[in-house]
Amino acid sequence: MIGIVDYGLGNLTSVAGAVSKLGFEPHITSNADALTSADKLVLPGVGAFPDGMANLAERGLIDVLNDLVLKRRKPILGICLGFQLLGRSSEEFRHTGGLGWIDAAVTRLKPGDPELRVPHVGWNDLTQTRPDCILFDGVADQSLFYFVHSYCMETPPDGSQVGTCDYGRPFTAAVQKGSVFGTQFHPEKSQQAGLTLLNNFLEKA
Amino acid sequence: MLRNRLITVLTFNDGTLFRTKLFEPDYRYTHNFVDSWSVDEIVMLDVTRDPMADRRAFYDVVTQFARECFVPLAVGGGIRTLDDARRMMAVGGDKVVVNTGAVERPELITEIAEAYGSQCVVLSIDARKSDALDGGYEVFSHFAGNPTGMTPGDWAREGERLGAGEIMITSVERDGSLQGYDLTLCRLVSNAVSVPVLGMAGAGNWKHFVEGVEQGGLSAVCTQNIYHFTETSIASAKKFMEKKGIPVRL
Repeated sequence: MIGIVDYGLGNLTSVAGAVSKLGFEPHITSNADALTSADKLVLPGVGAFPDGMANLAERGLIDVLNDLVLKRRKPILGICLGFQLLGRSSEEFRHTGGLGWIDAAVTRLKPGDPELRVPHVGWNDLTQTRPDCILFDGVADQSLFYFVHSYCMETPPDGSQVGTCDYGRPFTAAVQKGSVFGTQFHPEKSQQAGLTLLNNFLEKA
Repeated sequence: MLRNRLITVLTFNDGTLFRTKLFEPDYRYTHNFVDSWSVDEIVMLDVTRDPMADRRAFYDVVTQFARECFVPLAVGGGIRTLDDARRMMAVGGDKVVVNTGAVERPELITEIAEAYGSQCVVLSIDARKSDALDGGYEVFSHFAGNPTGMTPGDWAREGERLGAGEIMITSVERDGSLQGYDLTLCRLVSNAVSVPVLGMAGAGNWKHFVEGVEQGGLSAVCTQNIYHFTETSIASAKKFMEKKGIPVRL
């Protein structure tokens, strides 16, 4: 069973739909026991960073996730806001601390070219900076993924960056550190490449 | 490089798919389908006019699409409150499209943006040439029936300030015309805001997509004329755009 962390933000049904399409059993929940019994976790979410952390805290999920992910090494995949929450902090609206599993700050996406619009919405290439990451099994380098965001993660100093995307300048688009995985893009909305990547996490992580 | 998007817009009345001409239903092309692998994004609009109508049939269609289409789904029609938006997200929408509801109560944009983030709010603007505004363009609400006194540029800017993550501009006069996008209107709006702009109404051939991007400044070109889009035509349209130098996802 795949635990999809419900913290009251965003479209969980898309993620659940993709998970079940791939033959796994999704369970959308904020219940600690259910998350504990899940084989793997997905932390989805769209919305604002401060709300994300506040909602996790309100549901008592920060301690639960720290325990499951850091102590018990349960694999987790953060997507979009869920990916940013893995970081140390964000500047969205105000400085807010994150889960801190990936040592990198989240800052406003400032494309080098003033012609580039923000939010960054649409299909863009993913450069695999660590092609050996299991997420990329069967996924060609420079495959297109669907992005929609205004903030982005800086480069983590610990080598956990596995993929980048370029929008005016390169930014961190995918990370892996042990059993912690994250993608700024939406694999559940990125057609075949996205489904392959998601399946890699579900099957191999 | 970020690709320009080709978006298919599907309109539904009581859960039935149809296209429109001059904002009136035209059911001739109901029996068509979307090439769900080539399309970059899908917009589903419930244009059932009765405000008290039962929208369950539409919700069911959205859920079906959400199950099979692994691309973003923007969903709208009749959204007046945050609860309406929540409902659209719950049945499978990734974004919501607001139009008349935001004209009536602009803070609706902010309410949805605060709950789900700006990237979830598409402000749809219907505009036509109007004598009221010195022969310029005027925004119309309520299925293009109600003049608002606002110019599309001003309303787009205000929408962005209130939290809209994308603007969708529709030319009322070009709806179903196949004469191409109203490029002046598209450019006016894309110059007014720094968020992505989606252009809608008028596309009749693939050249129109290229013009929409190059001359209209559009990030995404939308089409509702689904009879052009059976099986492989989205893929061919994108190949054409690429040949003309527009970055697209093939």
